[in-house]
Amino acid sequence: MKFSNHLIILSTIILGFWIDDFLNPLTIKLYLELNFGFLIFAYWVFAIPEKLHSSAALFYGLVADLLFSNVIGFNMLFFIAISYLIHLYVFRFRIFSYFQLSVFFSGSSTFYIACKYLLLSPNNYSYIVLILSFLINAVLWVGLYLIMRAFRRSIF
Amino acid sequence: MARSTPTYTPVRNYAIGFSLSALLLFSDISYGAFAPLRGFVNASTLYAKMISNGIFENIGETFSSFQRNKIILQENKELKEKILQIRTKDFIHRKDNEEKIQIINFHKGLINSLKNDDVDIYKIASIDLRNYLCCSTHRVFLQNTRNVSVGKNAPVFAGRSIVGQTKDTYLNFIEVILLSDTSHVLPIKSNFLYCDARGKGKPMLIFCKLNKNNKNFKNQIGDVVYTSGLGGVFLKDIEIGFISAITSFSINEVEVLITLKANPLEETFYGIMSEEADEI
Repeated sequence: MKFSNHLIILSTIILGFWIDDFLNPLTIKLYLELNFGFLIFAYWVFAIPEKLHSSAALFYGLVADLLFSNVIGFNMLFFIAISYLIHLYVFRFRIFSYFQLSVFFSGSSTFYIACKYLLLSPNNYSYIVLILSFLINAVLWVGLYLIMRAFRRSIF
Repeated sequence: MARSTPTYTPVRNYAIGFSLSALLLFSDISYGAFAPLRGFVNASTLYAKMISNGIFENIGETFSSFQRNKIILQENKELKEKILQIRTKDFIHRKDNEEKIQIINFHKGLINSLKNDDVDIYKIASIDLRNYLCCSTHRVFLQNTRNVSVGKNAPVFAGRSIVGQTKDTYLNFIEVILLSDTSHVLPIKSNFLYCDARGKGKPMLIFCKLNKNNKNFKNQIGDVVYTSGLGGVFLKDIEIGFISAITSFSINEVEVLITLKANPLEETFYGIMSEEADEI
């Protein structure tokens, strides 16, 4: 894959994290935590698994960590984990319905949020946040999927 | 039916990546290993934000002020130009008057020839920046909108010093050869120094070559350099710059580098004594 394509993908991921940074201070009052950055990365791996390998996941994770995280390695770890999982089951995902995909990706996202709270902010760990975030991210995933797909088709 | 993943996804790479990430995460959480790096990135991000905010604010402010005060800015610009013109004229007049007084004192018989003090002010049309910054040819073109007849080799003033000499006129433009042009020679003097300084071919620099055995030469870096008036083209005792370096050029010669006072890149108006003015 061309370097410019990597830059485009990275830009969308950064945009996702930036939206998270912008919106989460507002939504957290409603026990909601959005996770656009992670979902966008997951989408890209799901859409073009043959072009995004472990090294790309590691690199994107590192950039996300440097720019948006409080610790180095967290996004790297989860990006590489979700990347492997998607690569492993990509054929099965192809026959999944939107609902099933939503559940999987939202579940992954919720796991990410849970681990983030557990590792970095255990005092704020909340099941309400996790449940509501799971529901809202499941809904958002469908919209995100459609938007990103349209974007991908217009770019690549 | 496909029986394998569409790409070769060896678990080894993912395992290495996973272990590496875990190690980094652990070392950062437990020991704050990357705290300086994070701090640096955060500071840089903030700095970039501040700068970008500043830029946007400035742009917005400038734009709005430009909209509001368009007439005032125009007036301000005109006044500034007038001030620059007056300043340049004033400097030339002053120097000319000084010279006149000297001549009056020493040669009373010449007083009748000093009646005319016409000075024309020209606005810069262009400077050959590409050559000025790199090469030996340093030329400026002045707008001669009034089609004033300008003689060749007349001294050209700008700011508070001399910048060069007229070379030629093309249509309504006057070509000025700058002092830093390698083909230009200017007789100069300082406390212990008299020489013909040649343009260095670098912005605002001229140089003299002197004999090392010249025992009269006791100048130091920082000494002010004036025109000597030799040759009769330039007025005498006009401060043109200062000695910025004295280096050994060859076995018998030293090079005295002089940094000029007037920077052509910063000047808008240039003064030239008209043909009817005094020939000193």
